[in-house]
Amino acid sequence: MSESDKTEHAGRSLWADAWADLKRNRLAVFCLWIMVVFCATALYGEIVYWRYNIINANPPRFAVPIQKMFIHLLRAQQVADQIPPYLAPDMNNRYSPPSRKHVMGTDSLGRDVFLRVVQGARIAFQVGIITSLIAIPLAVLLGCLAGYFGGWIDDLVVWLYSTFACMPSLLFILAISMMVGKGLQGVYLGIGLTTCGYLCRLIRAEVIKHKELTYVRAAKTLGLGPTRIIFRHILPNVLHLVIINFSMRFPAAIETEVIMSFLGIGVQDEPSWGIMISNSRFRLWQGVWWELAFTTLAIFLIVLAFNLFGDALRDALDPRLRRQSDKA
Amino acid sequence: MIPTIFGVIIITFLLFNVAGGDPAMLKLGKQANAKSLEEYDIQRGLNKPLLCGLWGKTRAFSELDFKKNAGPWSQVEGILYTNKPKGRILLPAGRDYPVPMALALSPTEQYRWDFNCRLVGADKHPDTPVALLICEGSNVIKSVALNVSSSWRTFIVPVSTTPNTSNLKFKLSIQNGTLEIRSMSLGRRTRNWFDSQLCFFLKQIATLDFGVSAETNQRVSKMILDGILPSLALTVPMFFVGTIIEILLALVCAFFRNTFIDRFFVVFSVALMSVNYLVWIVFGQYFMGYAVRWFPVWGFESWRHLVLPCCIGVFSGLGSGIRFYRTVMLDEMYKDYVRTAFAKGVTRSGVLFKHVLKNAMIPILTSVVMAIPFLYMGSLLLESFFGIPGLGNLAINALNNSDVDVVRATILVGAVIYVIANLMTDICYTLVDPRVKFK
Repeated sequence: MSESDKTEHAGRSLWADAWADLKRNRLAVFCLWIMVVFCATALYGEIVYWRYNIINANPPRFAVPIQKMFIHLLRAQQVADQIPPYLAPDMNNRYSPPSRKHVMGTDSLGRDVFLRVVQGARIAFQVGIITSLIAIPLAVLLGCLAGYFGGWIDDLVVWLYSTFACMPSLLFILAISMMVGKGLQGVYLGIGLTTCGYLCRLIRAEVIKHKELTYVRAAKTLGLGPTRIIFRHILPNVLHLVIINFSMRFPAAIETEVIMSFLGIGVQDEPSWGIMISNSRFRLWQGVWWELAFTTLAIFLIVLAFNLFGDALRDALDPRLRRQSDKA
Repeated sequence: MIPTIFGVIIITFLLFNVAGGDPAMLKLGKQANAKSLEEYDIQRGLNKPLLCGLWGKTRAFSELDFKKNAGPWSQVEGILYTNKPKGRILLPAGRDYPVPMALALSPTEQYRWDFNCRLVGADKHPDTPVALLICEGSNVIKSVALNVSSSWRTFIVPVSTTPNTSNLKFKLSIQNGTLEIRSMSLGRRTRNWFDSQLCFFLKQIATLDFGVSAETNQRVSKMILDGILPSLALTVPMFFVGTIIEILLALVCAFFRNTFIDRFFVVFSVALMSVNYLVWIVFGQYFMGYAVRWFPVWGFESWRHLVLPCCIGVFSGLGSGIRFYRTVMLDEMYKDYVRTAFAKGVTRSGVLFKHVLKNAMIPILTSVVMAIPFLYMGSLLLESFFGIPGLGNLAINALNNSDVDVVRATILVGAVIYVIANLMTDICYTLVDPRVKFK
């Protein structure tokens, strides 16, 4: 970075700086758009799913008015007792190749592949988001506590994540979901619990570094409590690690979910990308390529977009790495 | 290292014995009869108390929670059940109620009953005992008076059996009022305080005997030993070929850094990383095995069967490998000694192969040694899709059949080998890098 650049950027925060960096990176912007499209697809899939399922949902009492509101909003009464289109078989249209009516063709039961891919995106995003919601708060909390307090808390947390790091990863995830029971909860818990060790280690190391910096000392001298120092002062300064980690864990979670549902351990009775690959892989040998091809293409696109965007994000948010890449 | 192994043992124990619900149910299904469930439990020590204690479980009378339903009691004539305000069963006076048992008690064990009950609607001071628990067997008839009152009380009634007792049955006889039972359980006496699941598990680990697989009736330790060789036959060539190709390509990237070739490889490796493992397998089997027919698709007979899974494994790891080794090389490229070497007039390839590669050995070695435990585990997916009878295949089959023993043993052995590999990395460090010393 040249000298004039520095003065120009002087007044901006890390986040504004990173955003400006990202916007300049055309590849990253393109990936961001792909991610937005997939996210919208997943949201659309969610709406379609709930339109067909909200009437039969059995929410706790306090949520009943919300359910009623959504039944009205989604016009769920019109499709009551109908099978959702992504599940409804159409035996006259089995294995029809991509056409104007079925953009991605139909599968062995005549179901539209495009609609199923959309539902697969829904499951993939659910898994990505919920596993992050399990792993990130846990990792941040443990990492901050261990880094800030040290002592036996630190020993305990280090012991915990080094133990988890020893477990054979995929097998451990599969075993957790086997013990929890088939279905999405097993996937969430398995991926969520086993992947928080890495982030926890990063945050702990960073917090230890920040603990000795002057701003934390100043806060201590002013008499602030540890909770306030950790969550108001240190956490915002290590938050970029969380964001980078999120962009890396999301595609990994999607891939793991695909493998799990492929093995029949993940979601049941709903179209998911893994199930679609598993259903269509022997059809490929009979020349039915579209289901497999479009499913794998969808997985490839979203994972690639996340990977490339994650790289750009890391370069933008982690100043140390940026200096290195500037050198290179 | 010791605390980590200790942690691994605790986590496997927590996962499979504490959090894991009911492994017998998982394996044998909800329709299984109590006898086979009990046998499954005994074989795996699951009828013992969790950590320590004198009383274990038995499937003869499963501990009931009357909050939801009356369980097997609903079959008993004359029983009333209520779930308000809390679940309980009501036994009106005037008859005998046989206790619903799922299987006969073993004559060689000691048992005890544990009731929480009260009496309502009885006379104030009855002369005879109101509630009796009657044990009837081939050579015993014994009745125990329960000193029930109108407030909730817990009764513990030991059941004494002799070795020639058989066909032991229990009856509750109510003379007066209504007996309300809130909870009722049957405990089995363990041999001593430490006759527990944890000790059973620790003993299994100490003797390296992980019991018998519920699916195949083979010894789990033998299954694991048999699986190691096929796993290694697949993963060792895959790993070494893969690592060498990755390092070479990373050197190419470092050599041509900031040129078209370097950028191509960076994008290429991200693209490779984004292809799902399953896609490699499915398309690899289709094109190489089916469409072109270069390689067999399934089986483990000759080296030809291993070529295709090996290639797929190498390809799937290529992306992340190139990226990793490229960063390692580039990190070294900007160090002072490289500049010095260039200044002395050493050629580009000389610097790369003689100076950089040697100094990049430490991170390379770390990653290589850290990958060793994963070699033993084989590749879960590759093995099960190419029919290679290794550990990965074993684990996947065990997962599909809910064969808890096999899954637990593979995870445990895998984790312990990982810890040992970790230790070996540290030792290797000192050999490669004289600056690193053990404290």
